[in-house]
Amino acid sequence: MTPDRLSTTLSALADPTRRAILARLARGQAGVGALAEPFAMSLPAVSKHLKVLERAGLITRGREAQWRPCRLRAGPLREVADWVERYRQFWEGSLDRLQDYLHAVQGKEKKKNGRQRKH
Amino acid sequence: MAASASTERPTVSGREIVLTRLLDAPRELVFDAFTRPEHLKEWWGPEGFTNTIQEMDVRPGGDFRLVMHGPDGRDYRNHMVFVEVLRPERIVFKHVPGPDTEPVSHETTILFVARGAKTELTMRLAFSTAGALQKMVHDYRADDGMVQTLGRLAGYVEGKTVL
Repeated sequence: MTPDRLSTTLSALADPTRRAILARLARGQAGVGALAEPFAMSLPAVSKHLKVLERAGLITRGREAQWRPCRLRAGPLREVADWVERYRQFWEGSLDRLQDYLHAVQGKEKKKNGRQRKH
Repeated sequence: MAASASTERPTVSGREIVLTRLLDAPRELVFDAFTRPEHLKEWWGPEGFTNTIQEMDVRPGGDFRLVMHGPDGRDYRNHMVFVEVLRPERIVFKHVPGPDTEPVSHETTILFVARGAKTELTMRLAFSTAGALQKMVHDYRADDGMVQTLGRLAGYVEGKTVL
């Protein structure tokens, strides 16, 4: 587990094909062939994406069978999703209040002396 | 929570999370709302929070310490350091993790762009390391199904919900 895992996870998620692969794996394990099917992609191209996902710790690949089934790993995804959600909630809430506050301040200032701002 | 119509969904790209919002106020005023303690303490934090600003030294290298008082009675200590302050265009601050503060290390850039009488705010959150993140999310870990989690993430990444 590298110290900069979040960045690695975010980079791995930045590609739509890789997100589609993860979505597919969320429904159960699959081999490279099955994963390649919906994308009209060559097996080596899909393998490249799988390597990125594996490095980011988002999937594991079986060693036991020849088709090396891929499985989703939940941990890093949850961490990123939770973080983004917390960040969103914090700022959405804060900016709602900021807008209300700005309206109040502008109303007050206009009533007092007709100007919008100092400086 | 009622989603605000003027906020776009955050997007995730590389190591950054980006959020934009159009605010109905002139740029200088919005900037001051972020840099003057008497303004900032009135709105910082979600509904139900109040704030005590212990220190707010608004210049590069200056400390910004603030305690958020949650509606649940819990206090959330924040320690930030200003990296860049350019009125009325840009503020950059770093969140400093500490023993009694939220254990998270990241940098927030806030850009203020005038759009007529309004102001477009862009917030960019960049992570320096993710080590602290794990500790942080541990307390807040949701027990969502994987598909929902993926859907949310895909929504952030693409700016829309795809699953």
